[in-house]
Amino acid sequence: MTPSLSAVLGTELGKLKRSLSWSIVVLLPLVMVFAGSFMTLVSQQQLADGWHTLWLRSVVFYGLFPLTLGLGILASLVWRPEHRGGNWNALMSTPVPTLRIVLAKTLAIALLGAVMQLVLLIAVVVTGKLLFGLPGLLPPRYLLVTALLVVAVLPVAAVQSALSMTFRSFAAPVAVALVGAGIAAVALAAELGGVIFVLPHALTARATQLATGTFGDSGQLTAGGSLAIVCASAVLTLLVVALATRFQERRDVRV
Amino acid sequence: MDTVTTVNLTKSYGRQAVVQGLDLRIPQGCVYGFLGPNGSGKSTTMKMLLSLVQPSAGEVHIMGEPMNRRTRRRQLARIGSLIEAPPGYGHLTGGENLRLVQRSLGLDEAQVNRAVQAVRLDKQLDKKVANYSLGMKQRLGIAMALAREPRLLILDEPTNGLDPAGIEEIRELLRRLASRGVTVMVSSHLLGEIDKAADHFGILAEGRLLFQGSREQLFAAAVPDVLIDTPEPRQASAVLDGRLTTRVEGGSLRIGGIDNRVTARVVADLVGAGAPIYGVRREEQSLEDVFMTLTAGGRL
Ligand SMILES: Nc1ncnc2c1ncn2[C@@H]1O[C@H](COP(=O)(O)OP(=O)(O)OP(=O)(O)O)[C@@H](O)[C@H]1O
Ligand SMILES: [Mg+2]
Repeated sequence: MTPSLSAVLGTELGKLKRSLSWSIVVLLPLVMVFAGSFMTLVSQQQLADGWHTLWLRSVVFYGLFPLTLGLGILASLVWRPEHRGGNWNALMSTPVPTLRIVLAKTLAIALLGAVMQLVLLIAVVVTGKLLFGLPGLLPPRYLLVTALLVVAVLPVAAVQSALSMTFRSFAAPVAVALVGAGIAAVALAAELGGVIFVLPHALTARATQLATGTFGDSGQLTAGGSLAIVCASAVLTLLVVALATRFQERRDVRV
Repeated sequence: MDTVTTVNLTKSYGRQAVVQGLDLRIPQGCVYGFLGPNGSGKSTTMKMLLSLVQPSAGEVHIMGEPMNRRTRRRQLARIGSLIEAPPGYGHLTGGENLRLVQRSLGLDEAQVNRAVQAVRLDKQLDKKVANYSLGMKQRLGIAMALAREPRLLILDEPTNGLDPAGIEEIRELLRRLASRGVTVMVSSHLLGEIDKAADHFGILAEGRLLFQGSREQLFAAAVPDVLIDTPEPRQASAVLDGRLTTRVEGGSLRIGGIDNRVTARVVADLVGAGAPIYGVRREEQSLEDVFMTLTAGGRL
């Protein structure tokens, strides 16, 4: 009789119909890729290293702030209707276990994040071909990086989801995302690699730098580096989901 | 069998106890009218029954099993509820909202359709909930609560925003559900809204239960005033002076709060003192009067 996770996730995705979140998912990466290309065109530089340079210009800055910020906004958007009218009471008065609610929300936000990476990938390929006439196709390692990014947005999705679940405010959790991204940028610039196991926002930022050679990155996509991303992502996501569930399970509904 | 029982149910915020020592008993298959003025603790009590709010003290049993954070999700499969404001996602249509409920609870099409028909929302399903009137939102909320075919229905002021015809429809719906064995608890701060539908009442004031029981017990609880008809009410009043508080009203004397035994003695005394008496009766009371008497007793 207990509703299954897939049914609950299906419900969460159903709530995204006509949601503003889709425009963010599409527009944010498009704007970032086009901004990177625009700067290149205006400064009349060449893409010195072809696809690699285009990827680097599209992704590194995006990974530092806009991506985390975008996930923060998506989380607030996904939770916003739950804080309205009688929806919170209704959500907490169904047989759906709290863990499944927390998981489904996290997965819905992460799924939006995954679509965002996909849009980014497509935008890079399209601008590379149409705008710069680059030869061949994007090297496959960037497909792998995209796949790792899809995994790496999970912990930020979990943290931002937990914050937007807890606070009715739309802006406060987004501000936390911004602060998290700032700390992540500083830590990564200082080459504190271990920060990805502590701060979800740093994990996401680090993942966008894979194979770019920026900040502490070697420029190579290694098995060890990829594994570290996947493990950190799994550990942080599980931890945050467990804590958020426990907290929510003890909390009373507000007035 | 009682569907809902609570023992010493209490909720305090800081030093202030907003619900105090409630021992609720809601019999199976009844419509339980939960009445009380604004701020008396109706919503807080209902939230504790649903474990939306954890009691500061006391416990809740629903259908013989404890209701708490550990058991609530299992219990909630058979409880439909609507607390304070109606639910519904504004950016979706009524139909889409109901499909979400159907999907997450694994209900079938027929269950949802029956719920929609019960609240007469069939024609409004394609409209976005953001564009619903308050009454339509209430109906949608009730439909969502009904769709899972609950054994217990907890509705907090469900007639808020409904027009008189809508209120009447909801009353009929509640009676019909109760006749099928569903236990319905419905709150209101207006007695008139639910007195025709409810057969059991709980009356709350300042977080305390002033009365609980059947309609008959409610009438019996508030003893109606005795009216003594006499052409000489002042003389009669003088006879009783010092023993009872009386009030002269035209051709009669009003005496409050005396039982039948005292009434008989009063009449004997008056006759003994030579006061002419041609009628002794108890005042007809409306449920409204009883309610007002009881809540006034709660120092409001
Ligand atoms: N979270 C809270 N913190 C502090 N006080 C609270 C809280 N929730 C409720 N109260 C207080 O508890 C009292 C009872 O509130 P409740 O909402 O249960 O009343 P009610 O009977 O439902 O009133 P109404 O008819 O207006 O809906 C009120 O005085 C309210 O201010
Ligand atoms: Mg209330």
